[in-house]
Amino acid sequence: MGTRRARRCFAAVLALLGLLLAGCATGRLDATKPIGEEARDIDGLMRLSGWMAVGVGIFVAAAVAVIIVKFRAKPTDDPDDLPPQIHGNRKAELTWTLIPTAMLVFLTIYTLPTVFALASEGDGRTIKVEGQQWWWQFSYDLDEDGHYDIVTANDLVIQTGEEVNLEIHSNDVIHSFWIPQLNGKKDAVPGRIHEWRISSDEPGIFYGECVEFCGLSHANMQMRTIVLTPDDFDRWVQEQLAGKEAAQAAPAEESPEAAGAALFETHCISCHVVDGTYESAAGGNANLLAGIAPNLTNLMSRTAFAGALYETYQTGPDGDYLRNPDGSLKLNLAELREWVRNAPDMKPARADNQQGMLDFSEVLTDQDLDNLMAYLQTLGSEPVLPATNAGAG
Amino acid sequence: MAIVTDRPDSPDAPDSAGPGTELEPAGDGAALGDDSPRTGVFARPTHATGWREWLFTVDHKKIGIMYGALALFWFLIGGLEIGLVRLQLWAPDGEVISADFYNQLFTMHGVTMVFLVIMPLANAFANYLVPLQIGARDVAFPRMNALGLWVFFFGGIFLNLSWFLGGGADGGWFAYAPNTGMTFSPGHGMDYYALGLQIAGIASLLGAINLLVTIINMRCPGMSLLRMPVFTWMILVVQFLLVFALPVITVALILLTFDRTFDANFFNVDAGADPLLWQHLFWIFGHPEVYILILPAFGVVSETLPVFSRKPLFGYPIVVLSGAAIGFMGWGVWAHHMFTSGMGPVSVAAFSATTMFIAVPTGVKILNWIATMWAGKVRFTVPMMFSVSLVAMFTIGGLSGVMHAIAPADTQQTDTYFIVAHFHYVLVGGALMGMFAGMYYWWPKAFGYHLNDRLGRWHFWLMLLGFNVTFGPMHIVGLQGMARRHSVYGEFDGFEFWNKIATIGYFFMLIAMVILAVNIFRTWGRYRRGLEPGAGADPWDGRTLEWAIPSPVPEHNFDYVPVVTDVDDFWHKKYQPDETGKLRRIAYGNDIAQIGDQHPHLPSPSYWPIVLAMGMPLIGFGLIYNLWIAGIGLLLLVGSMFGWTLEPATDPDAGHGHGHDGHGDHDDDHGGGPDGHDDGNGVLTASTANGEAAGD
Repeated sequence: MGTRRARRCFAAVLALLGLLLAGCATGRLDATKPIGEEARDIDGLMRLSGWMAVGVGIFVAAAVAVIIVKFRAKPTDDPDDLPPQIHGNRKAELTWTLIPTAMLVFLTIYTLPTVFALASEGDGRTIKVEGQQWWWQFSYDLDEDGHYDIVTANDLVIQTGEEVNLEIHSNDVIHSFWIPQLNGKKDAVPGRIHEWRISSDEPGIFYGECVEFCGLSHANMQMRTIVLTPDDFDRWVQEQLAGKEAAQAAPAEESPEAAGAALFETHCISCHVVDGTYESAAGGNANLLAGIAPNLTNLMSRTAFAGALYETYQTGPDGDYLRNPDGSLKLNLAELREWVRNAPDMKPARADNQQGMLDFSEVLTDQDLDNLMAYLQTLGSEPVLPATNAGAG
Repeated sequence: MAIVTDRPDSPDAPDSAGPGTELEPAGDGAALGDDSPRTGVFARPTHATGWREWLFTVDHKKIGIMYGALALFWFLIGGLEIGLVRLQLWAPDGEVISADFYNQLFTMHGVTMVFLVIMPLANAFANYLVPLQIGARDVAFPRMNALGLWVFFFGGIFLNLSWFLGGGADGGWFAYAPNTGMTFSPGHGMDYYALGLQIAGIASLLGAINLLVTIINMRCPGMSLLRMPVFTWMILVVQFLLVFALPVITVALILLTFDRTFDANFFNVDAGADPLLWQHLFWIFGHPEVYILILPAFGVVSETLPVFSRKPLFGYPIVVLSGAAIGFMGWGVWAHHMFTSGMGPVSVAAFSATTMFIAVPTGVKILNWIATMWAGKVRFTVPMMFSVSLVAMFTIGGLSGVMHAIAPADTQQTDTYFIVAHFHYVLVGGALMGMFAGMYYWWPKAFGYHLNDRLGRWHFWLMLLGFNVTFGPMHIVGLQGMARRHSVYGEFDGFEFWNKIATIGYFFMLIAMVILAVNIFRTWGRYRRGLEPGAGADPWDGRTLEWAIPSPVPEHNFDYVPVVTDVDDFWHKKYQPDETGKLRRIAYGNDIAQIGDQHPHLPSPSYWPIVLAMGMPLIGFGLIYNLWIAGIGLLLLVGSMFGWTLEPATDPDAGHGHGHDGHGDHDDDHGGGPDGHDDGNGVLTASTANGEAAGD
């Protein structure tokens, strides 16, 4: 009897463990898998404080368990016979005031240097980060002349081993920038510039998102940090600059690309910018609360669109990119086309309040959409992807 | 409220309570009306029975019960709101509700649970019990007490009417500017939020001033501050916090309302504003608010743990002082809500350190509670089970709180489900468990019978299980990076498993609440039919003064004002040391309790609190839609103030032929104006606290 019961208990415990393991399959945003130096420093503090908390928690739980088991009133007790009436004990009070105080002093001493270390400036390049409803823009000033040479959205591209300084701010409400594997959060606040540092020793794609509630589509304001080796990073920079050049070349006449460009000029440039070609909206746009929409100069070089909600290139069931026979990435044309046709349907927005992209389903015909897709595919080349991926998930 | 409108005499009420039940001082209302010195709108209400008795009452006990009933109603609403959220999060890319509705739901869930559930629940206990625990006949300002209740009543309704008038608030309960400004939130939801909280805040402020004056001035002879029950102490600390914290949120909400309604620029970045102003204002209120929510529960378990362990509270002065210390230190930690907001490392370091050390008094409390139970003879009644679960569950929430105090760690944890787990362990595992403990503990005192024990145990176990199954997994998904306030998560995020578990846990809690409702209504019905035994004055072998009077408590509370010589004075009337120094029982509570057969002069009911309160939502509507409506509201408000001041001073005993002007037999007991005359208009003064001999 006893053994059968024990076996059953054992099976139950195993089942429970299996269940827990299944639940521990981690995703792309796991904050307990630090890669960058900053995130590792934080992780150390989290683990230290976490284990101390677990220790104290077990102590209290054990005390409560003893009370429940040992100091339970028994039915046989004389109801008028009282347990020892202890009103207090000065030594005990002193002990359990001083011990927690000592533990907390230790934690404080351990914490404060990290606070200041995380606030210090890195030795790498500076990238401007702008949050707006509901996507992220990243701007690079390569020659430090005060003019941004590369302006991109959704994908923040950096190189390994570089302490990148971010200048975070917002064009509308408060957002919060977070790449869990690289560092903690930093709010993007309108009217303020917040400096924040990230770095990674390993190449990879690190996912992130907005974590300060910023309105209707807060859940859909995602981003990625793509960490490339220095060589790959240089290639990415060259391709971005080349894409900028290429975007200025007029498409062949009578081609679908030319028809698409004409449509783009009619419907899109009141909000979107293509460097050197359609810059009417640059420097603030009165049609939008945030004042800016994504710069589309190198659209095809980004791994995602619509606030990184959709993949630009098709992925398989495990999230890996699918490839054409010639080795190129498979464009996610269907969702991109649908996005241009009726964006509010694919991501909650309030276009009537100048928040988010308009619905063009009544405006653009299927032919128009085909032409627009043809034009958009001329904007930039394939993204540079990291050869290895240290990202979680 | 129907629960309590028609409380019958208990069929087998304990002898001590027998005569007390006939003690409705206002007795025959008609007789009172006949004697009314003035007529017209300025006459006092004369209804001593039925629903009108509840609408116009100034009795702190009825007001307390109504606070409790309203809180439970809003608890149902707030709980159902979050049920939809849990369903939406059942699977990745949930499509149960829209993002817009989702944002409204979590905003209103937070606002409802904080302002319309836990605060009024604590208020219910405070209103009912503080006068009883300090040996007073009522609170200092009975009509103001009623005003607080009705302002809260209309404030809650006003806030929730937004659901039917264009949608609930959608900016989060913390309402960070500028997302809550007209530009980004053009609907009326945030207007209802700002004005609804403003109204609810007025209610809390009225209650806080009232309880402060009551506790400071109206303690019975001998009850020095360090003889006061810990529950009353914690309520005192909370009222100080309210009095100083509410003005801050009041100012912040006025700024928000001015921005939204009159195009002011307090939070307009283009006009030079810094949105961090809102965050500082909100959290200077918001962090003390956390202690406003939790300290009453600490007070409750500081009462229950000694009673059910049959030991005095270990380190009474330390527990009291650590509660007060939490109250003080609670003012110096607000910016730990803003570690990622860009304050700069010096501020972050300072607030990180202060936040760590607020854990010291909190930990001291927990260890004193454990020491109280240690080596006791612990009776695991339903209130005790809830109390012990508070000690264990709050500890978990407190410890994860220390983790957040480490600012760099907080930058990973904040705005994730790890925080959601943390504060639900504090507010559900702590505050709510404490409130449930209080409900089961004081139910027999308020209504004269016990809630059903077996249903109570089901309620407890399902609640404890459901609570841990819901919020435990949130620690894990939080660390795995699941952000708060996201209406969907992706299929590659790895959050699905634990979200399913959490949603299942929610339904356990829902069932637990259904069982609580069944318990309340079923036991009440059985009691009415005479199937439930009366509880007697002292069912738990209690330690504090509320157990020294009949259950349910007669309208005048105390026949004679008790004189207190010790902490837990009532206990010492039951137990005295024998020749060996060991405590022996010398009496039973039910035998030595007061019998409630006196007819002292009590404050008269009044029309004006409810009428005055009605003006406030009208002003709110006016600010949203049309200022003319606000004018009507203002007229009602000011008119009511005149009615209030001109209301005649009727003596409810007049109809019974007792001394009509408060100079009756027991005048000294319940106090009166300077001339010994009290009609409920003024303060029930401190004569009782100033050492008047008890019972004449």
